[in-house]
Amino acid sequence: MAKVFSRWLPCATLAAWSAIMLYYSDLWSGKVDAFLVPQFRWYIAAAGFLLGAMALVFALFPADAECCITTDCSHPLSRFAAGKWLSFLVLIVPFTAVAVVSPKGYSQNSMLLQRGALTDASSLPDRKISVAPVDLPLPTKDGAPAAATPAPTAANAKPAAPAANDYIERTPEGYLVADVLDLLYAVQDGNLRKDFEGKTVQMIGQLMPDTSNNPNGTRFKAVRMFMTCCAADARPVAALVEAQKQPELPEMSWVRIVGTATFPIENGRRISVIRADKVDKCDPPADAMLY
Amino acid sequence: MHWFTFSPNDFFFAFLSVLFEGLPFLLLGSLISGVVDVFLPADTLARVFPKNAALAIPLSALLGIIPVCECGSVVVIRRFIRKGLPLPCAITYMLAAPIVNPLVAMSTFIAFRGQNPLQMLGYRLSLGYLIAVGAGFIVLLLRKSPRDLLQPGLIAEASPKRSGLRWAATDALSGGQKDFAEIAMGASPARKLILAVQSATADFLDVAFFFILGTAIACLFNTAVNQQLILPFATQPILAILVLMGLAIVVSLCSTTDAFIAASFSSFPQSAKLAFLLLGPVFDLKLFWLYGLILRRKFVCILGASLIVVIAFICWRAGAVIDGVRLP
Repeated sequence: MAKVFSRWLPCATLAAWSAIMLYYSDLWSGKVDAFLVPQFRWYIAAAGFLLGAMALVFALFPADAECCITTDCSHPLSRFAAGKWLSFLVLIVPFTAVAVVSPKGYSQNSMLLQRGALTDASSLPDRKISVAPVDLPLPTKDGAPAAATPAPTAANAKPAAPAANDYIERTPEGYLVADVLDLLYAVQDGNLRKDFEGKTVQMIGQLMPDTSNNPNGTRFKAVRMFMTCCAADARPVAALVEAQKQPELPEMSWVRIVGTATFPIENGRRISVIRADKVDKCDPPADAMLY
Repeated sequence: MHWFTFSPNDFFFAFLSVLFEGLPFLLLGSLISGVVDVFLPADTLARVFPKNAALAIPLSALLGIIPVCECGSVVVIRRFIRKGLPLPCAITYMLAAPIVNPLVAMSTFIAFRGQNPLQMLGYRLSLGYLIAVGAGFIVLLLRKSPRDLLQPGLIAEASPKRSGLRWAATDALSGGQKDFAEIAMGASPARKLILAVQSATADFLDVAFFFILGTAIACLFNTAVNQQLILPFATQPILAILVLMGLAIVVSLCSTTDAFIAASFSSFPQSAKLAFLLLGPVFDLKLFWLYGLILRRKFVCILGASLIVVIAFICWRAGAVIDGVRLP
């Protein structure tokens, strides 16, 4: 019996965990993508391999468990068979069972009720834009744009300078692709705001009625979940959308919104509102979380 | 508005995500701890310690650069005490090691990404160090005999068996019990590696047991308790600190991963999160029991109560800087 506790149960635990980690990793099913930000995902594969190696060591090199039959032992659960089984069950059952159930995401209705949707970026982490906006030419003394750069030669030829917001992805129709966070950060950041304000944008989110900031009953929220490290810290973030009439779709439906990004000041604070031209039902995006 | 709404799906999703995030860190800490266990005999550290307490106590707090979490430090400290490390140094090490170590620093920095990570890291390491050193000097000034504070038999009946390494402690070839250091010293490099993996596995599974329980409680809180209802606590500095300290005691998280959970309490001020990060690694339900293996229960209670009061006070005062709260 001692061998079961000292060798095979730890071995089984490590092997099960290794299998779970490897299965969820990007090397196999890629399911880890729903749980962690990209920087942490490779840890899962590495941990899976290490746990597998440790299970192998335990299987090949039996060890002794006499510590846990002496009073010197610091593991109360290991002194008795029942405790050892309890310890084993706590280690293996919850993790394995939840991994088998394999939840795909939060039932967002309840998460919204529990945590409430953020509609401003002041309590969100600082964000770095992945591609720096292009510097605009400095004005000259008379206010005219700076002189054109010298004609390119074969040696210094460069592509034509892009517009200020060319770092933002566009749809085939030429609309700027915005996510909820872009608009919330744009409220705080004047430079980012200039890139979106008055432009036609396309945004995907989940439909939620707006009960707090909706004087004419024409507004709704487009909600996404925002993750800092892992899904446990995810919070709903929402952008306001104003349409001629409320979409006749169930709550939490995924919708694609095309409209003009505006940043009016209401009740003394700047907010973002998309004046929607079109709101259509759409499929959920490949990555339902924002990072 | 219900204060508690349990959704199994949400609980499972959060639970799995914290395990995926925390277990690799726990594993890394256990592997390093296993290597240290085998390749760095405890008596070497005890031998090179200065005899002067004023030097030895601050230095012992820096032993935390050998990365072990609080569960590991309790195991290691029993060994150190048996090898003759003075009690004030042992207490200092025991309280500092779970905070002042590189793995905890790394996980704190990563977890607080976007929430002023350098500030939180700086406060956690510096205050954790100062609290541990302060506790060491207080124990020194008490001038109590170690026998008054330690569990009976911890020194007198020094066992030849090493309790930290459950499965690798017996020399299988000789069939007799030996001191672990002897086995490790005389082992071939390959055998040392196996001993290190076995040690790491034992530590990993021990701590993972508490990590799973703690994660389950924390995720239950995070997904089922309506956080809008506890917002009144979060906006009262001292109440917020006390609430998160109470939670730290109950959930008993490992110090290598607790920062990820602390960072997710988005509605609470940074000072309350700091209190969670300072108290959890040095005193919680699991440590109350583990400390009792080394120290007398009465001393454990006094130590715990003192830590709660001191950390609450420090974090409340620190809130003036961290959160910009005006103090009365």
